[in-house]
Amino acid sequence: MSGAGLLGSAQSVSQAVALHCEGITKAFQGVHAVNGAAFEIPQGQITALIGPNGAGKTTVVNVLSGAMKCDAGRAFLGDTEITNWPSYKIARQGLLRTFQLSRELGGLTVLENLLTAPPHQAGDSLVNVLLRPGSIRRQEREHAERALHLLEVYRLYRHRDTRARELSGGQKKLLEMARAVMASPKVLLLDEPMAGVNPALIDLIGDYILDLKRSGVTVLMIEHNLNVVEKICDYVIVLAEGRTLATGRLSELRENTEVVKAYLGEVMDAGAAR
Amino acid sequence: MTYYVFTLVFFLFDYFILAMGLNIQYGAAGILNFAYIGFVAIGAYFTGVASLPANTLGQQYILGLGLPFPLNTLIGGLAAMLLSVAVALITLRRLRTDYLAIVLISMSLVLYDFCNNFVSMFNGADGLYNVPEPFAKTLGLSVNSFIPFFACVAGVVALIMWFVMSRVTRAPLGRTFRAVRDDHVVAAALGKDVFRMQLKSMMIGSFYAGIGGGLLIQFGGSFNPTAWLPGETFVVFAVLIVGGAGNNIGMFVGALLVETLLIHLPAFLPEIPGHPGLIEYFDLAVVGIVLMLMLWFRPQGMVPESVRRAASFGASERPDGEADDLELGTPAAPARVAFESGDPQ
Ligand SMILES: Nc1ncnc2c1ncn2[C@@H]1O[C@H](COP(=O)(O)OP(=O)(O)OP(=O)(O)O)[C@@H](O)[C@H]1O
Ligand SMILES: [Mg+2]
Repeated sequence: MSGAGLLGSAQSVSQAVALHCEGITKAFQGVHAVNGAAFEIPQGQITALIGPNGAGKTTVVNVLSGAMKCDAGRAFLGDTEITNWPSYKIARQGLLRTFQLSRELGGLTVLENLLTAPPHQAGDSLVNVLLRPGSIRRQEREHAERALHLLEVYRLYRHRDTRARELSGGQKKLLEMARAVMASPKVLLLDEPMAGVNPALIDLIGDYILDLKRSGVTVLMIEHNLNVVEKICDYVIVLAEGRTLATGRLSELRENTEVVKAYLGEVMDAGAAR
Repeated sequence: MTYYVFTLVFFLFDYFILAMGLNIQYGAAGILNFAYIGFVAIGAYFTGVASLPANTLGQQYILGLGLPFPLNTLIGGLAAMLLSVAVALITLRRLRTDYLAIVLISMSLVLYDFCNNFVSMFNGADGLYNVPEPFAKTLGLSVNSFIPFFACVAGVVALIMWFVMSRVTRAPLGRTFRAVRDDHVVAAALGKDVFRMQLKSMMIGSFYAGIGGGLLIQFGGSFNPTAWLPGETFVVFAVLIVGGAGNNIGMFVGALLVETLLIHLPAFLPEIPGHPGLIEYFDLAVVGIVLMLMLWFRPQGMVPESVRRAASFGASERPDGEADDLELGTPAAPARVAFESGDPQ
C-alpha cells in the first residue's frame, strides 16, 4: 500500500505538501535500514513519524536532511528536488533537523550555539569581518536579542554563558530545539524531542511545537509516546522495517489491524504492563 | 649583549605570528595541520626570491623580483596561502582529524624532499643566501644595529596581525570555525559549508605562516632547507599547547615560554665543558617533557580559550528567569557506541 496515496485521497486534495519522498532506500553493509519509504508531509501541520525501534525513522531523517546519502529514491522540499544534496544546502533551503542523541557544540556557550544558527550571516565572510565590522556588530546584536528571547522561552536563559557541554541531558535537548528554531526553519524534523526529559517538560515541549505550528512551521517529529502524538500531531506516518506501513490520523490507524500488529499493539501492551 | 636580547625578541614576535596562524587552523577550526612548517618554508622561500635580484652568482631560483619590504613578505604570505588552497582541495574534502593529520605529515615530508632535490628552483640543499636585509642600505644600518631594528619591525607586524586575528576570532567567522571543530555534522545541519569554512581557516593560518617565514628569512638572510625539517612543526604546536589552544594572547605567552625561554635562551648559556652542543640537544627534549606535563596537568594551556559573554553583544539585559529552576530531567544520555565517527544519530 502506498502511504502517499492514502494521505492524498483521504485528505483534501488542495492540502499543500511541504516535503515528500518516494522509494527512499538505504542499506548499511547489507542491513536494509530504509527500504522504499514514501510519504508526504502536509504544509503547516505537525506530522508524527512512528514505528518500532530500528524501523529506520532516524535514518529517514538523516537522508532527508542530507546527513546521509540514500541508495535510491527521491526527496522534494516543496517543488525542489533535494535528493542527496549536502546537508548545508538543504538547511539553507529551510529544512532544519535535531538529533536523537543531542549534539551540542560543546565548546561554544549556550548563546553561541544559537548564534551559529541564523542563515546568511554577514560575519561569516572574511571580507566583511575586515571591512564592515559595524554592520556585523549590528546584525550580531539583533541575533543576540532574538536568541536571548528564545533562551528565555526555552528556560535556558540562566545558562546563556555556560559552555554547552556542561548542560544536563534534558537541557541539551532543549538547546538542540531552540538552536533549530533560531535558524527560522520552514520545515523542522525533530528526532524524539521528548526522549529522556523530565515528564513535567514533555507538556512544555509539546507547547513549543504547537507554537511553531502556529507560526507556520511544518513539523515532522519522531515520537514513541502515543499520548503526545494524540495530543499534538495532525497526521501520523507509520514506518516498519524501512517501509511506510500506513499514514493517516491516529484514530484511523488504531483501526488498521496491520498497524496495530506491527506497532500500536506492541506499544499498547507495553503501556498496559507499566 | 643587545644582539642576543633582540634576537630573542625577534623570535618571540615571529613565533607569536606563527602560533596565531596555527591557532586559527587547529585551535579554532580543529584542523591538525602537521604540515604547518611547510607553509612557513614556502613563505620564507617566496619572500626570499621576491627580494633577491633577478640574478645572483651561484644561486638558482625563480622570480628574483628585487622587491622591498613589506611587499616581498606579502608575496611570501600569499604564496603560502595559495599552497594551502591546493592542499585543502586535495585533502580536506574527504579527510578529517587523524587521517588528515597523517596525510599532512606525509605531504610535508614530500615537500621537504622536493625542495631539497629540485635544484633549479630551490637551489638544492644550499638554499638561498644573501637575502637583502630590509632598510639596511637606506637607513645605513650596521650588522649590529639591524638586529634590534628588525626585531622592532617584527613587533609592529605582530601587533597588526594580532589585531586582525582577534577580530576574526571574535567575529561570527571565528565562532563558525569553532562550531565546525566541535561537531561538523551539526554545523552542516545549520547550513554551514564545512569545507569552505575549513578552507578559509587554512588560508588565513597559512598566510600567517608565510609572513612568519618571510620575516625569518630576512632576519637570518638565508634559507636553508634543513631549518624546515617537518619536526619543526611540533615546536609551533608546543607553543600553541603551552600557551592555550584557542586564545591569541595565549600564543604570545606560549611563544615567550617555549620559543624564547626553552629553545633559544639555553643556546646562550655557557657550554658544558667537554660537551659542546649538548645543551642544544637537551632543549628539544625539555620541550617534549614540558609538552607532556602540560597535556597531563593543564591541557587547556596557560591562557585557556575564553568565551564571549552575552553582555558583550549589546543586547538588552533580562532578569534571570525563575522558571529556569524547573528540574530539567535526566543527566546527559549515556554514550551509545557510534557506528562510525561523526555518525549522525
Ligand atoms: N550508521 C549506521 N551504520 C550501520 N547501521 C545503522 C546505522 N544507522 C542505523 N543503522 C541500522 O539501521 C536500522 C534503522 O536504524 P534507525 O536508527 O533508523 O532506527 P529508528 O527507527 O530511528 O530506531 P529508534 O526508535 O530506536 O531510534 C537499525 O537496524 C540500525 O542498526
Ligand atoms: Mg531513531
